Amino acid sequence: MGLAVDIVKQNGARSSEQFSQEKLHASIVAACLSVRTPVGQAEAIAHAVSTSVIAWLEDKPEVTSHDIRLVTAKHLHSHHPDAAYMYQQYKITI
Amino acid sequence: MDVASSLAIITLAALIHSSFQLSVSVLTLLSGHSIIAKHSQAKVARLTTSFVIGVGVMTILLLSFVSIVLLDTMGSKTSDIAWSMACGLLFGVGIAVWLFYYRREKGTVLWIPRPIASYLNNRAKATKDSSESFGLGLTSVISELIFIIAPIIISALVLVQLDAGWQLVGIGIYAVVSMLPLVIVWVLIGSGHKLSDIQKWRETNKYFMQFVAGSGLLILGFYTYVTEVIGSTIGGI
Repeated sequence: MGLAVDIVKQNGARSSEQFSQEKLHASIVAACLSVRTPVGQAEAIAHAVSTSVIAWLEDKPEVTSHDIRLVTAKHLHSHHPDAAYMYQQYKITI
Repeated sequence: MDVASSLAIITLAALIHSSFQLSVSVLTLLSGHSIIAKHSQAKVARLTTSFVIGVGVMTILLLSFVSIVLLDTMGSKTSDIAWSMACGLLFGVGIAVWLFYYRREKGTVLWIPRPIASYLNNRAKATKDSSESFGLGLTSVISELIFIIAPIIISALVLVQLDAGWQLVGIGIYAVVSMLPLVIVWVLIGSGHKLSDIQKWRETNKYFMQFVAGSGLLILGFYTYVTEVIGSTIGGI
């Protein structure tokens, strides 16, 4: 069961959605895999970073997707700087 | 214009073409999505190879097509007006590259409209086999046509004045040189380099590449105008 936090997408240009821990976990795993991190290590890093992000979300009823991305990248950077860089490159590669 | 000068112009035009980054960005995305999807190294290699081949094929097709159209409309003797128009296009595109090839954002966000960028991103993510990858390579060249048309037109104008054998050499030189950065990135990805290292290099050097591309177009336009338009006018006098 996820937190009851609304995620505002694209500064309100798209409809909000409920926070999903699975989606966050998958995006972190993807960033780690893109820099050829072994699957087990990617899963472990994703679990650790997700826990930190969820702790940050505890007292917030609504956040933007951009905020989540910033906080996740910050926590991911302490575990895997290359993966954090690729995580931040989402939608700014092309 | 002698053969050596002609091939030099074609080579410079191809170098300018090679400094444009859309195909490299799409290749980076395609590789990233393939690696994330846990495809085998062999499959990643097949997908990236097909993409690079698609880019090469479309580049050759575009150059050949423009050359044939110019040959049909103007014959093998290019008029001063055609040279002037081509040089004007080079100047215009060169300044456009300086002004807005890269958006003023982090990363390597290009000028292309966001819906097209999203489309290319989604297609790169959804690509599962070599034929789709080949098609993506074709599409990425077409998507950047507005900028690459300038070096292609100038190369075509030079090509139509050459003999058939040298035309083939010219097309080959253009295709190989214009794809050099793409081939380098392809080799780096295939040899196991991290995408983050490649992307960091691109982000760090993007404004330099932008300046070089714009400057190259202006220099090529100036040189061609002086040698072909002013040179023939003075020669005629």
